[in-house]
Amino acid sequence: MKKRFPLWIVGLVGILALILVPVLYFMPRAQSKNDPAAHIPVKAVHVDHKDIIKGEFKTGQDVTRACLECHEDSATQFMKTTHWTWESKAFDVPWRNEPVTIGKVNQINNFCIGTQGNENKCMSCHAGYGWEEGKKAEQSNPENVDCLACHADTGAYGKGLFGNPAEGVDLLAAAQSVRSTTRENCGKCHFDGGGGNGVKHGDLDESLYFPDKNLDVHMGGENNMQCTDCHWTKDHQILGRMVADNYTIDPTEQVSCEECHVNQQHKDERINTHLSAVACQTCHIPAVALEDPTKVYWDWSQAGQEGREEDHFTYLKIKGEFIYEKNFTPTYLWFNGNNEYRYILGDPLGKDGITYINKPAGDIKDKTAKIFPFKAHIAKQPYDVKNNYLLQPITSGKGGFWTTFEWDSAFKLAEPIVGLKYSGQYDFTTTYMYWATTHMVQPADQALQCDSCHSASGRLDWEALGYPGDPIEWGGRK
Amino acid sequence: MNKYKLLTIIGLLLLILALGIGTALASPEPATTTQASPFHPNFKLLDKDGANVLESANAVSTMKTCGQCHNTDFIVSHAFHSDLGLSEYDAKSKTLDTSNGLFGQWNPLSYRYLSAAGDERLDLSTAEWLMLNGDRVVGGGPATTSRGGKSLAEIKADKTNPEAAILNAGGDSSAWDWNKSGTMEMNCFLCHLETPNTAARAEAIHAGDFGNANTATLLDLKVVSKSADGWVWSADAFNENGELKSEMIGLQDPTNANCAACHGEVHPNSGDPLTVSQCDLNYPQTATTGQVVSGQRINASGMNISGKDELNRSWDIHAERELQCTDCHYALNNPSHASEMQSSNPKHLIYDPRSLEIGEYLQRPDHNFARGQSAQFNVAPEYKGTMRRCENCHDAGTGHADWLPYVDTHMEVIACETCHIPQMYAPAIQTYDWTVIATDGQAIESCRGVEGAPNQTTSLVTGYKPILLNRTNIDGKTLLAPYNLITSFYWVYDDANGSKRPVRVVDLKAAYLDNGNYAKDIVAAFDANGDGNLSGAELVIDSPEKESAVKTKLAALGLNNPRIEGLTQPYSINHNVTRGENAVNDCKSCHNEESRMTQSIKLADHAPVMPVFDTGNNVNGSGEFVKGEDGALYYQPSPAKDKIYVFGSSRINWIDWLGALMFAGSLLGVLGHGTMRYMAARKQNKPRGKTERVYMYEPYRRFWHWLQTASIVFLLFTGLVIHRPDIFGAFSFRGIVTVHNVLAVILVINAALSLFYHVTTEKLREFIPHPYGFFDDAIVQAKYYVGGIFKGEEHPFEKLPSSRMNPIQKATYFVILNVLLPLQIITGALMWGVQKFPAFAHALGGLPFLAPFHSFVAWAFGTFILVHVYMTTTGATPLEAIRGMVTGYEEVEVHE
Repeated sequence: MKKRFPLWIVGLVGILALILVPVLYFMPRAQSKNDPAAHIPVKAVHVDHKDIIKGEFKTGQDVTRACLECHEDSATQFMKTTHWTWESKAFDVPWRNEPVTIGKVNQINNFCIGTQGNENKCMSCHAGYGWEEGKKAEQSNPENVDCLACHADTGAYGKGLFGNPAEGVDLLAAAQSVRSTTRENCGKCHFDGGGGNGVKHGDLDESLYFPDKNLDVHMGGENNMQCTDCHWTKDHQILGRMVADNYTIDPTEQVSCEECHVNQQHKDERINTHLSAVACQTCHIPAVALEDPTKVYWDWSQAGQEGREEDHFTYLKIKGEFIYEKNFTPTYLWFNGNNEYRYILGDPLGKDGITYINKPAGDIKDKTAKIFPFKAHIAKQPYDVKNNYLLQPITSGKGGFWTTFEWDSAFKLAEPIVGLKYSGQYDFTTTYMYWATTHMVQPADQALQCDSCHSASGRLDWEALGYPGDPIEWGGRK
Repeated sequence: MNKYKLLTIIGLLLLILALGIGTALASPEPATTTQASPFHPNFKLLDKDGANVLESANAVSTMKTCGQCHNTDFIVSHAFHSDLGLSEYDAKSKTLDTSNGLFGQWNPLSYRYLSAAGDERLDLSTAEWLMLNGDRVVGGGPATTSRGGKSLAEIKADKTNPEAAILNAGGDSSAWDWNKSGTMEMNCFLCHLETPNTAARAEAIHAGDFGNANTATLLDLKVVSKSADGWVWSADAFNENGELKSEMIGLQDPTNANCAACHGEVHPNSGDPLTVSQCDLNYPQTATTGQVVSGQRINASGMNISGKDELNRSWDIHAERELQCTDCHYALNNPSHASEMQSSNPKHLIYDPRSLEIGEYLQRPDHNFARGQSAQFNVAPEYKGTMRRCENCHDAGTGHADWLPYVDTHMEVIACETCHIPQMYAPAIQTYDWTVIATDGQAIESCRGVEGAPNQTTSLVTGYKPILLNRTNIDGKTLLAPYNLITSFYWVYDDANGSKRPVRVVDLKAAYLDNGNYAKDIVAAFDANGDGNLSGAELVIDSPEKESAVKTKLAALGLNNPRIEGLTQPYSINHNVTRGENAVNDCKSCHNEESRMTQSIKLADHAPVMPVFDTGNNVNGSGEFVKGEDGALYYQPSPAKDKIYVFGSSRINWIDWLGALMFAGSLLGVLGHGTMRYMAARKQNKPRGKTERVYMYEPYRRFWHWLQTASIVFLLFTGLVIHRPDIFGAFSFRGIVTVHNVLAVILVINAALSLFYHVTTEKLREFIPHPYGFFDDAIVQAKYYVGGIFKGEEHPFEKLPSSRMNPIQKATYFVILNVLLPLQIITGALMWGVQKFPAFAHALGGLPFLAPFHSFVAWAFGTFILVHVYMTTTGATPLEAIRGMVTGYEEVEVHE
């Protein structure tokens, strides 16, 4: 006989459901934790290439050929990226009739000024070999792609002149050392840009190789994040754009805090009311260059002095006079993610004696703009007195300023390479360059407090930002 | 030629301009703005005769100077900061307090007693009072006016008059000439200057140079300097009309720093790490409570604070949020706070626009500032509760809605500060023992919240948890609020007039010291280890011998009936507020065996006498003084005495004992009965009587029975967790309360539907005991349980689907359904309803009655369930009745 299913079990289940459903419905729920760390991409474990890579490598290109045997598309992918071209897409800018591109390959900054003609030194940070053959030849050959710069253990690899491997590098060992890209790979160029540790970025320097949580809450601390955890990479295209080397930036190409901090509101409503006008970075990065100093002033006009005492942080004969600062308050400007202006070779100097290499876009009336922290770099750099534009000298190149200490010949040498006429009369003018401060994010308890801005000694100059006075009293922008 | 000159000049000018712009732009640092009001016009500084000080070279008179535009008479007469209790001075007071303010209210910490006219011994004269307290006396009031209302300058020097004398170090007195010392007008500069020179002012006051104190406040501001001949006014600071350039002195609304000069530690959130002068009465608010007004994060401060790294909260959220003292403690007729003054509006009027014009206000600003209801500051009690309190800015209902159940109930009992000032992070005074003195004539002091001596870098600042005491507000409401308790011990004597007076420090020194060292007989009495020195541990009156030794010496000085008294005073804590995330926000902080509400606080390491709780305030000292095993004295609050019932913390022991006894008795009875049945059944081994399978319970009956069973069992369990959360630590208190409430609703609905079912089907009758012959039947049934059941006899009453219950059963259910269940539902509903309908609960005695009652009925239910389950085993077979209730079919005895 088939045993009947006991009905009382149905009753029991029903009764328990009658109790449990309302209880669970009314139970106070702990607010679901929105863990930003959950957004950190999980990367595949890198295959150990030690036993895969064989062969004798005489040149960098030999290594690349070996890489391409398996990673067939990598070089073509990479050659589409700005890491290879060193040049932005073409922008229409209001002060030029023709579209312009911006990048180290064709424009200048107010640090080492320009790469053109200086490839022997500058290209040690380019992920490509063979610059001695000239730009065209170098850029067209996939075998010139330097896989090792980003993939090799930095302890086993280094770059020398014209982007080629440094002398004495064991290319086989370097090739066998390849692994997932680390902060060391990126840091080699991005921490030491401008000719040394922390020169350019106030928020990226060698202190980030072994950061403490209080130096950078992302890269330090338990998450030990790598650059590529935020700068997500697909087909060698790396997310994130440098403000100074662009005109406008599509937000989808930019890294933002909200990628991981999704819907993450502050517990304090009062703080949340700031979000429409204040960038995350403004409060969470209270100071620039926390541990290692960064360059804030560079006076090229003092370069070349014979016999003056040299010091990395104050004066070098080849470069001139500097001021380095550390742990200082950033400069706050309205910023909508774009530049209002980016100096293009041949542009006239600024009218009030200051020429902006770049000027972040945005003002109090711009709804998309927020108050944002910048490191301002001020320089005195050469310009053509008659033609009224900035000049790019040949410095490290053959016969350049660093060997001759003659400005005149350095400009003359540059004339055919850069393509700007040199009138024979030069002088030095003040230029400003603004660098967005977005790394070295502090733990929440180190963020700015109300009185950091809203007090008599607050760090924001409200009237300069366009407010009638402290918005705590005068109200925010409408 | 001229043209070229002009061009050159223009060129040069342009160059300069360009350079200027360049330099300006090259410095991105914003210039700091000054706070000084650019509005205040230049003004003449006048001396007390109304002459410009530039000409007279005299001291400045603030009353004359500021009185050129502002009505200084009005200001002085409307300023409790100036009055300081003078207007309430009563020399004939029965207590030690002769007024309710700094001038006359006796403070056992500062100790010196303001002598009244006719006192046997002069202690503190008016002049010495001003010299000692002048740092924190703004002037005017007792600094210019006698107790009788005359100008102090009119009081003749007289060494027998406490208003015109001064006590000398030797204990005798000399006359004080007010005309020589001058008097101290209300000092406008002290609070309205950006950087008043408080040090120079204090120096003048301590030297008794009262007439020059206000002018000294201007020193070092490039306005005036001091020479051997008097004041030298700097002509550069004045304009051609002889007016002081107002920017020289930075006139402004009072800032936190101005208030701090007298009240306590205030620290701007600059880069400088905060350090606190600990337990230092020069910072009274900080010394007595540990309150520090600073927006700086605690972990950024410069003190050795325990667990500092984790303390990323600011000292005070309001300071962090840039609030100024004057935002809450504003001038009462300040038109910008007009809406606060409109409490007297008729109900239909939300806002009355007829407020003071700003000009009128500036002329006569009321300097009676809005104030709170603190325990120790009693001057101008008519202004208590005028300030903007938490609830005037914050809506607690909205703020706590997302997590705190019973918001209104909590708010009705607990002040905001109780949870939002969970911990003090600076030390505060614990004890002042004046019964013994140090060789410098100071009391033996102790601090709470610091391990080791205060102000030592090697000492660890632990902070302390304030004690929660019941405060009666002006509106009559009582709230639990945080306090520090300071206990002082001191000698008093009866003077020639029969008035009680504290023994003067001069007399204590005479008794204890001999040329700055302890007198030989004192050493002999106190030196326990015989090393000839008095250590800290020895320097305490802890034996009758020591006490009598000192008493004898005091009596020898002519002091009548010297004796020791002790006083425990509450000091309100209202600042150092923190946001919710750092506040007390765990239910179990209070709803637990070890509750914040019953937490005791140490009063003294050793108590020479039992102190009394200070009654001169709005704090209810209903707790007890308890001596700990360590010999220290503690104060143990007892919320029960204040009619506060806290679930999980409060309980009435006899109720629980009675309930437990009932339950345990039933358990024993059931076990005994069951054992006997088992033994009897084994012995007899009698064959089972005839049984029959009967459809006993229809589905709905089974359903409501088991739903009710589950509800009751879970209710009992969750109720137990709420009652004793200390035993069931794994459960979230808040969650369990929710479950309990939901279960209660399910039970009530189930009971109501079942009642409906029984009424409509007329099956309710089964539950009603039949009155005729009820007792006979009940006795028959009872007899069966004590006799027949062991003999294997048949049940006296047959269990039939139409009549399933025996008489005792019927009576039991009658009581449960008509008494216990309704009582439990009503008490429970009222307890739940204290949030929304507190009036009903209060009418029935409130939680202190309802909650224990509910617990007791719960015990009764528990007992019923135990017996009920046991009784089900008395069916045809032990499990037959349960099976019947599960399946509906039960084997029952068939009676022939």
